[in-house]
Amino acid sequence: MIKSERVVKGILFLSSLLIILITAGMMLSLMNGSIPVFKEFGLRFIISSQWNPTEGREEYGAMAFIVGTLLTSLIAIVLCFPLAFSSSLFIGEYFQGTRIAKIMGTLVDMLAGIPSIVYGLWGFYVLRPLIVDLGLNGQGFGVFTAGVVLAIMIIPYATSISTEIIKMVPGELKEAAYSLGATRRDVILRVLIPNARSGIFTSFVLAFGRALGETMAVTMLIGNANIIPDSLFGPGNTMASVIANQFGEAEGLKLSALISIGLLLFVITGIINGIGKLIIKRFNS
Amino acid sequence: MSEAPGNSGDRTLRKRMRKNRIFAGGVIFFSLLTISPILLIVYKLVAKGYRQINFDFFTKNAPDTYEAMLAVGAGEIIPGGILNGIAGSLYMVFIASLIAIPVGLLIGIFLYDQQSKRYAGIVRDITDILQGVPSIVLGLIAYFWVVKNITNGFSALAGSTALAIMMMPLIIRSTEETLKMIPETIREAGFALGVPYHKIILRVLIPSGFSGLLTGILLAISRIIGETAPLMLTALGSMEVNFQIDKPTSAIPLLIWEFYNDPNMVDLIWSSSLLLMMMVLLLNLLSRQIISRRS
Amino acid sequence: MKAYTLILAIALFLVSCGNGGPDKKSGTKESAPVDLTAAGATFPLPFYNVAIKNYTEKSGQSISYGGVGSGGGIRSLKDRVVDFGGTDAFLNDEQKSEMPADIVHIPTCIGAVVIAYNLPGIDQLKLSNANLQEIFMGNITRWNDPQLVASNPGLTLPDMPLTVVHRSDGSGTTYIFSDFMSKISAAWESGVGRGKSLMWPVGIGAKGNPGVAGTIKATEGAVGYIGSEFAFAQKIPVAQVENSAGKYILPSLESISAAAKAEIPADTRANLTCSSDPEAYPISGFTWIILYKEQNYNKRTRAQAEETVKFLSWLIEKDAQALAQQVNYAPLPLKTVEQAKEILRSVVYDGQSLLN
Repeated sequence: MIKSERVVKGILFLSSLLIILITAGMMLSLMNGSIPVFKEFGLRFIISSQWNPTEGREEYGAMAFIVGTLLTSLIAIVLCFPLAFSSSLFIGEYFQGTRIAKIMGTLVDMLAGIPSIVYGLWGFYVLRPLIVDLGLNGQGFGVFTAGVVLAIMIIPYATSISTEIIKMVPGELKEAAYSLGATRRDVILRVLIPNARSGIFTSFVLAFGRALGETMAVTMLIGNANIIPDSLFGPGNTMASVIANQFGEAEGLKLSALISIGLLLFVITGIINGIGKLIIKRFNS
Repeated sequence: MSEAPGNSGDRTLRKRMRKNRIFAGGVIFFSLLTISPILLIVYKLVAKGYRQINFDFFTKNAPDTYEAMLAVGAGEIIPGGILNGIAGSLYMVFIASLIAIPVGLLIGIFLYDQQSKRYAGIVRDITDILQGVPSIVLGLIAYFWVVKNITNGFSALAGSTALAIMMMPLIIRSTEETLKMIPETIREAGFALGVPYHKIILRVLIPSGFSGLLTGILLAISRIIGETAPLMLTALGSMEVNFQIDKPTSAIPLLIWEFYNDPNMVDLIWSSSLLLMMMVLLLNLLSRQIISRRS
Repeated sequence: MKAYTLILAIALFLVSCGNGGPDKKSGTKESAPVDLTAAGATFPLPFYNVAIKNYTEKSGQSISYGGVGSGGGIRSLKDRVVDFGGTDAFLNDEQKSEMPADIVHIPTCIGAVVIAYNLPGIDQLKLSNANLQEIFMGNITRWNDPQLVASNPGLTLPDMPLTVVHRSDGSGTTYIFSDFMSKISAAWESGVGRGKSLMWPVGIGAKGNPGVAGTIKATEGAVGYIGSEFAFAQKIPVAQVENSAGKYILPSLESISAAAKAEIPADTRANLTCSSDPEAYPISGFTWIILYKEQNYNKRTRAQAEETVKFLSWLIEKDAQALAQQVNYAPLPLKTVEQAKEILRSVVYDGQSLLN
């Protein structure tokens, strides 16, 4: 018994090494590629918002993209939260097990199956004119437009896992609360959420991570202006989008700049996740 | 529930009941709002794509721009289909799953098993970081590792590698969170009965958390089936059906990208996207069937 | 557990089945099909796809070309993971020296960059060189600006805001356009310069030809540049521009081909913008295939090299060039075909020429 346990734990441990190896390998490759641009511009690269790719006067800085990425993802998660959370309550609690829940669940899952380019196209042909009509931006491109489409894209990630977590809250806990005279709302806010808090929060962190790295849909809607957005509805650019846009043609210093941006994205995702974890720790203590 | 009319408890009760109703109303409202984009998008895809879906669509390879130009000019539907894309997508998703599912499950179980240990915390952090890497960076990495060093050329393996890395964090985290929700008592009961650890995992934990685990896996597959950017740098694309792991192969999202960039084949993007969505739908229905059959 | 073992077995079977196909790299039989892989510019992609499909039907050879961009094409060739690469901008001497071995450029067709616009009811728009400079540098903001009116007597230009649309992704189209602009405008050359991607003084960036074309189509008063094959296929209204003979000219397959009629160097590395030919469309450019001069590298077989050269020599000859015309690419003039053939003859395997 003890031996079998050790074998199993050994296998599990080895598998954990795999992901560390992959991630470490990736970081090494990225760092290797970033060296030229940091040698040229130093740490100034991170805070500069200049981006001039013309040969002979190249100057690169990542700040415009960092701001764009954070802004769009923030807008996305803020817009996504009420939608995804309500949906998971709908499927996992209010109508759990019924046909309606199944249909709802299927519909939400379908959102995940739509390729990002289709979101980009739909955003371009449907959402963009809407934004123009609302007078928010002359051509309909911008940080907000991209944020809205991102929000829709990440809903299934937040919903699916949250729903499963909500469904798994033990029935007895809920029954106990009901028997004490709680309304459904009370049960959700006082029993279900505290119990499922960690899982729900994780699903949103996952969704946020998805938003940070989304490429195709954003690149079609954000206006691709390599500047810090001057307003919520103005054009901008994100780290993933600029890499996708420029990678095919890039070489030399520019390629290094793009790889550095990829590295920065890595780092920023790490920081955000770190903050998320601190919050979860607060939850659980 | 007893209601004694006229006392303060009754007023509080009514207030709470009202809040309850408002809350429920909010949930339903936002849920309906959530599904409205899907309905809108599906409608658009069907409206623009249904004409191109016929038997040929599933059995013929992609047309070239000239055939498309002639067809569009004559007002007919564009000939050909996307068989090369379908075959390539299924192939690469399959290989990616072979890599990612067992590894992802194992690591997820590891994290569950080692909940509060420091090392596990590091592994968890790394997984979350991996999740946020843009797909094109993964494509770049797969290009350096596989295209340059292993297959010495663009290949399905490189594409599958990039996809597998994308799948892993999703599978790992949802596995861990699912297992965490299983009451400790069930696991303890297994130990108490003297069940060896690997059996506890296989016969107790995984079956209990099956629906959650399957959800995570399906989410991961849905995620990668529509990915374009990493495949451009790794699988490259092909005009024929190709099941060789060390050669370039096509994929539905790659074809969609090619159609989009081609002035004559733009109309094909809608039908191809529709197919992609239907595939995800099928996956979902399948999983629901499996889950309901188990319970 | 059992299910998983079964799946594993199927997987192994499929993989081995794939690799155990006809011995592709034997290189002994002339008729044994060899797979060619290539990557590069997206601009000629529709033409290459049609040509490849045609060639495959005739010869049984399978070729995969992926549109990863010129930079990707150059990189792939540098990494030696493709048989040849495609690029819209030729490699200058410095870039050539960075390749591990000597490479040659084979032009395959000619394309152009056209100025597309969205002005309902207005066709036959003329834009002088000065107009283009002012528009794309942001100094003209309305369509009824006197400078535009002066170029278009007889047209009533509306009082509408002018929106510039450009490419957000790096591309050969941008390179050709900026090369042209640098030649006709000193202000542009010093202020913006030439390159596959630029720091634009004004305008919205859209991704790819479809992005720019789509934005122009959807925005009244928009003007921007797109690849000619795209504009022709989608019948988007384009402006007439001045060529080096001072003549206003519309892009067409003839005027684009004419751009190559002027003198070009033997290695065909030339920008065709502002060509001296009086019938030429001034914003034109070759697209090239690049490959190594010495084909015996990285364990390449002779058969692989032969098939590469055979395909490329077919691509520049009249059957393939006729296909190019059908899909709105301008064919190479005969003089250029001869030059290209000469270059192909210089491609060798172990020092021996492959072209017979």
